[in-house]
Amino acid sequence: MTLSPLAACAGPGSAPGVGAGSGAAAGSGITLALNRSLVSLDNKLNQFDAAVTVQRGVRQALTFIDPKLTVQHVLAERFELTAPTEWTVKLRDGVRYSDGSPVTVEDVATALRMYQKVPGSFLAGLFPEWPTVTPVDAATFKLVTKHPVPTLDYLMANILITPAAANKPEELQGGVGSGPYVVTAANRGTGEYTLQVNDKYWGPAPAIKTVQVRFLPEEANRVVALRSGEVDVIDAISPDAISQLSGLGDVEVQQVPSTRITQLFYNFRKPAGHPLADPRVREALSYAINGPALIKDVFADSVSPARGVVADTLTGAVQTGEYVYDPQKAKQMLDAAGVKDLKIKIIWETGEFANDTSVMEAVVEMLKAVGVQAELQQFQPGGDISKWRQGRGGDWDVLGNGYPGPTGLALTPLQGMFAGTKEKEATRDTYQGYVFPKIAALLEKASQETDKAVRESVLATAQKEIWNTWPCMWAFVPKTVIARRKRVENVLLSPTNSYELASVRLNG
Amino acid sequence: MVRYVAQRVGQSILAIFLTVSTVFVLVRLAPGDPAAAYASPLATTAELDRIRAQFGLDKPLIQQYGIFVQDLFHGNLGTSFSFQASALDVVLSRMPYTIMLAVSAILFAAVVAIPAGVWMARHADTARELGANVAMIAGQSMPEFWSGIMLLTVFAVLVPVLPASGFTSWAGLVLPTVTVGILQIALISRLVRREMGAGFAAPYLTIARSRGIPERGLTWRYAMGNSAVPVVTALGTRFAAMLNGVVVVEVVFAWPGVGSLVVRALETRDYPLIQATVLVTAVLTVLVQLLIDLTYPLLDPRVRLGKAVAS
Repeated sequence: MTLSPLAACAGPGSAPGVGAGSGAAAGSGITLALNRSLVSLDNKLNQFDAAVTVQRGVRQALTFIDPKLTVQHVLAERFELTAPTEWTVKLRDGVRYSDGSPVTVEDVATALRMYQKVPGSFLAGLFPEWPTVTPVDAATFKLVTKHPVPTLDYLMANILITPAAANKPEELQGGVGSGPYVVTAANRGTGEYTLQVNDKYWGPAPAIKTVQVRFLPEEANRVVALRSGEVDVIDAISPDAISQLSGLGDVEVQQVPSTRITQLFYNFRKPAGHPLADPRVREALSYAINGPALIKDVFADSVSPARGVVADTLTGAVQTGEYVYDPQKAKQMLDAAGVKDLKIKIIWETGEFANDTSVMEAVVEMLKAVGVQAELQQFQPGGDISKWRQGRGGDWDVLGNGYPGPTGLALTPLQGMFAGTKEKEATRDTYQGYVFPKIAALLEKASQETDKAVRESVLATAQKEIWNTWPCMWAFVPKTVIARRKRVENVLLSPTNSYELASVRLNG
Repeated sequence: MVRYVAQRVGQSILAIFLTVSTVFVLVRLAPGDPAAAYASPLATTAELDRIRAQFGLDKPLIQQYGIFVQDLFHGNLGTSFSFQASALDVVLSRMPYTIMLAVSAILFAAVVAIPAGVWMARHADTARELGANVAMIAGQSMPEFWSGIMLLTVFAVLVPVLPASGFTSWAGLVLPTVTVGILQIALISRLVRREMGAGFAAPYLTIARSRGIPERGLTWRYAMGNSAVPVVTALGTRFAAMLNGVVVVEVVFAWPGVGSLVVRALETRDYPLIQATVLVTAVLTVLVQLLIDLTYPLLDPRVRLGKAVAS
């Protein structure tokens, strides 16, 4: 259900006021409104973008990916590759949980074991291999793997450390953390949390004393609540809402390019002889898509054109080319490939990206202009799209889909999408049937290369090879957007769609 | 009386059991895969199989049903897939908000609708009644999402005097209450007007009037006394319906009740949560209906529970 008429009413013309009866946004505290319910302050199963902000306010990892997508040490004072399959880590002196107990090597070892035991975990898919902990002394340990994992310092930023005795192989609903805040009230049923400053925090004390977290699933509710002063920061904002909020005097819209890429990805399970099995046809169709018009008119410049096969914000991403709008060339290439009266089916899940239906309807018209008839099939969230993606639900040709880059590394989405093998395809675990052994081998090599320069060179080669297979009809990089009241300052928004709560300040 | 209550309780238990059993089957016939909804989009086939096994979804439907029934009799409604917590606890954490909104809305509706209906009956067939009728029909015709959005626009955006969403203070209850109440007022006031109209025309009222009983007594003691049963039935039925979640209003106002919870449970194919919600709301609905039945002899002495109305 959409409440867009209400959001439209909240136009720039009317003056915002202070929400009666709220008061939550006043004083030394702030209120955040999330678009997804924060079921827990753990991330073993779910790692929703904005939730990470709150989770990391309470629990911390050994490392942290900063807004420049570089690794910063948090609980680790030292995190160093000391052998191809061995990292040496030293815990920072004096790091303690909110109950005063110290962070120990055993806590790290237990956390790694617990994360591994959660089936279907988002994070498990990021680790090519789980490291084991070998203690050296009370504060030092080695993370050992069978094969080189040269990006382990990035990956470990996702493993939140909790006292070993309280850790479980499931999302923790309570318990202490080492972060700048502690939870003083929680109602996971309604997704509402109250965080207060952790008096025993080992780092600099945060400026904001209290953080209220609310769950407002409808964008219109978030927009109205921000305007009325009921909440201070909102996330997941559509292009329409951005244009409404941008004109307000006491609201600031903050945008940075994200690490996510959204693609119209081809189905690579087509039999030989099918037009879409021919890269020339895939390339030809890409010329039919008027990307600049979609970005300007449908997305209101809230996305950037993709210039490669992953978001170019990611470390290790290279620009491999651009999607060019040239319908004449599209027609010529289709004619040259002997393709006439092509019919394709485009599928996607509702809400996969902003203004999804408008984009797809525009794409249908653009394809029609080059003689291609496109049919749309939209799936409701929770429906059968995963079955269709695996080719078990029915035939399709193009999938509208987003792929995240939560580690800040290009390698992660490249492996997830393009490292398909025949073995994985046997269980339909490749990304839409994409199997190119040469590319998979390059990505495998890059994933184990400890020399950064060599690794990035191999990755660059792989990305160029991937681009030449024309995996997508079109792609774009959405921007990470939040809107905040201007009294809230120093929100260091990261491309991974989170920010450090401890850095946030209030003016006045 | 005791026999009647026991009989009604027995019927209610059967009705609840049939309801939850039907829901058990229907949600599993709907498209979608709870394992895929629960897991990361990047989960492998093997991981999805493990999740199905963990949730018991790999077993034949009849076996799943057997386990469900067995657990039900032990008061265990399972673990919510999406909350990773007792499904019953999750529903019970939301239920107070729904009950609060339902009580508030039905009280608001009763306080406005009953006097309005009486006033309309007393001014039957006049221009004033016609005007009131038009207003009530307008209230009945307005979809709740529209009236909710209009109220939000006026009182939370243009003149921001009330909170726009959620329940952060008692003021947050005002707009959802009024939104739900508008339709109820329209329905109940017209019912009251009809019942009271018939009451005012009844011979017993003419006799009472001839005995010199004041108009206020005639209205509230005699006419209303005879209209009470259908009015209370209507209020109770509407209240029971609200306990199932006022879905649209909860979405418009981000109200943290069971209506918005069940929408989420359906989206994530969270079977235990759907079943727990249905069970809890069904029990409450049945209880409310039973309470309404038990009030009948108090409202109308001619009523004998379990028997035909005495003539």
